[in-house]
Amino acid sequence: MGDDYSSVWSYRLKWLYTLLVVFTLMLPVFYVIYVSFNQNGFGAAEYVFTFEWYGEIFSDLLLLGALGNTFILAGITLAVAVPMGLIAAKFYKATEAKLLTVSLLLSPLFVPADILGSALLVFFKNLNIACATIGEWLGVSWFDTWFELGYFSALVGLIIYTLPYIFVVILITMGRYNEQQTEAARSCGATAWQAFVQVEFPQIRAGVFSACAFAVILTFNEYTRTSLLKGGYDTITSVLISQMLNEGMSEQSYAMSSLISFIAIALIGSIILYTLVQSERLEREARAKAEPVMSG
Amino acid sequence: MSQDIAVQVTDLSKNYGPVQALRGVDLSIAAGEYFVLLGPSGGGKTTLLRLLGGFIRPSAGRILLHGIDVSEQPPNHRPTSMVFQSFALFPHMNVAQNIGYGLRLRKLPKVEIDERVAAMLDLVGLGDLADRMPHALSGGQQQRVQLGRSLVLETDILLLDEPLAALDAKLRKDMCLELKHLQEQVGITFVHVTHNQEEAMTVADNMAIIADGELVETGTARDLYENPRRRFTADFIGETNIFDGTVTGVNNGEVAVDLGFAALTVDDNGQCPNVGTEVSVSIRSELVQILRSGIAVAADQQTLTANYGEAVYLGLATSHVAALPNGQAVVARHVSTGLALDVIAPGSSVELAWPRSMMRLHLS
Repeated sequence: MGDDYSSVWSYRLKWLYTLLVVFTLMLPVFYVIYVSFNQNGFGAAEYVFTFEWYGEIFSDLLLLGALGNTFILAGITLAVAVPMGLIAAKFYKATEAKLLTVSLLLSPLFVPADILGSALLVFFKNLNIACATIGEWLGVSWFDTWFELGYFSALVGLIIYTLPYIFVVILITMGRYNEQQTEAARSCGATAWQAFVQVEFPQIRAGVFSACAFAVILTFNEYTRTSLLKGGYDTITSVLISQMLNEGMSEQSYAMSSLISFIAIALIGSIILYTLVQSERLEREARAKAEPVMSG
Repeated sequence: MSQDIAVQVTDLSKNYGPVQALRGVDLSIAAGEYFVLLGPSGGGKTTLLRLLGGFIRPSAGRILLHGIDVSEQPPNHRPTSMVFQSFALFPHMNVAQNIGYGLRLRKLPKVEIDERVAAMLDLVGLGDLADRMPHALSGGQQQRVQLGRSLVLETDILLLDEPLAALDAKLRKDMCLELKHLQEQVGITFVHVTHNQEEAMTVADNMAIIADGELVETGTARDLYENPRRRFTADFIGETNIFDGTVTGVNNGEVAVDLGFAALTVDDNGQCPNVGTEVSVSIRSELVQILRSGIAVAADQQTLTANYGEAVYLGLATSHVAALPNGQAVVARHVSTGLALDVIAPGSSVELAWPRSMMRLHLS
């Protein structure tokens, strides 16, 4: 709002400006959505409205397979990187060497995607050669394929990529947690694990869930590392970009992009809305309860 | 080991790197006693309490609780529970859930938990606030919930870490007495850490002075106030005048001390200093009288000549400050009666007088 003397128009202008910025940022997405409903596809002179491409998404095996792969990668990344980030954040709060810890954990952020991706590519290729060579010496072949490019290598790339974000997001909520509550729980008879699950986790839950959302969104976004470490036609983003680079996106791809955007916007929008409504309700309750409280 | 000793600590030390937070402390606390650890901030009293609770591990020494060595046990395996200074309620649980937390951990039947929580709510005077969330409670109410959460567990020893420090002065006084009465009611051992003398004296059956990582002295509030053995205790508790001097003679339980500008004779209080030892002599400020020069004093009074400085009105008491020939300030404190008294002009010569028997000798 502002103070009593500020003009109501300056307040409205600020809102208008904010909406304009959001609209400008989202414009390309809106354009993709617009194209996805065109019978004639991207760049056609004539616009004919249709749902046809949405229907065809489900017969496009490449896209469906890519979507499945992306979900699998996102799910495993989340399952591995979020607990790692949580443990890292706990360690950060406990350790005295905070600068070293934070520098190490955030360092993947400062390595450009293509450099990290190609470094890992070389690393896995060499591991493969090493495994094959050792296997030959020993006369066994069962670990030859351990480090072949595929899910595992792509996951390593994704975990390295998402871990710093997850660490920071969890640390922000954990920073507000008072360790004395853990001690209070311990003195009530809780084990360290019970104190974490029953007292600390409920208070940092929001951060952990945000970190999960981050892991999924980042996995969906990721192109360079995944396409280097797994292949160019395996996840949604890599399929879309590879198509774009090679032959231009198919009409179904526009529809798929739009569908993902719809779901993402609806999901994140409702989370934000829910959070706002919830915090407003809590605040109202707190105010209502705080009033009749007497000192003593 | 006697069953009557709740806490037995021997040669207990805690180091943080090169910093010695606690050095070789020996202490025993009787079961059912309200015991206070009193001392200046950073003196090591909270370190001692946290060692008893199992939140930190001793660098050396042993901790026996009811005769059982718990030095290596985590907090949840000790017969203790703890009340913290503040912010230690679980914000996502209401008052009843906070109090019942430890009982739920013990997997007691729900009916029993509800009964015990309800009884505890009544005991700490929060019967009608069971459904409140912690953020909707005042500071005093929050501390009551913490007390309830600990007491409901019926552990043998309750540790209280500056439990009243976050409350305002008036509330602190009320809660102090309440704590004392609560302890008498439940009959378990309370170990209470505070830097506040009045708080300590209100609640303590026995107390220990802790400073610079060492246990300075233990005793009842009256002992420590009226008969301190150590110079630090005399200085720390109450308002005391302390004179440093050298022993010039020891005779028949009396020690002669030379201050440089005057000589004092003080009871040796069971101590046997050698001639030439540096010692201190203390006298409480409320025992010092200021008299105009030339007024006769009784034979049992010690007198010193001084220059009157000023009076400081403090409400309940008025402090009169006078300077000795060596420049040291002496404070005489008297209850303000509201009657008009003789006004002494600053700079005039006065006699300071106090009962000889009330002086205390300190060798360290």
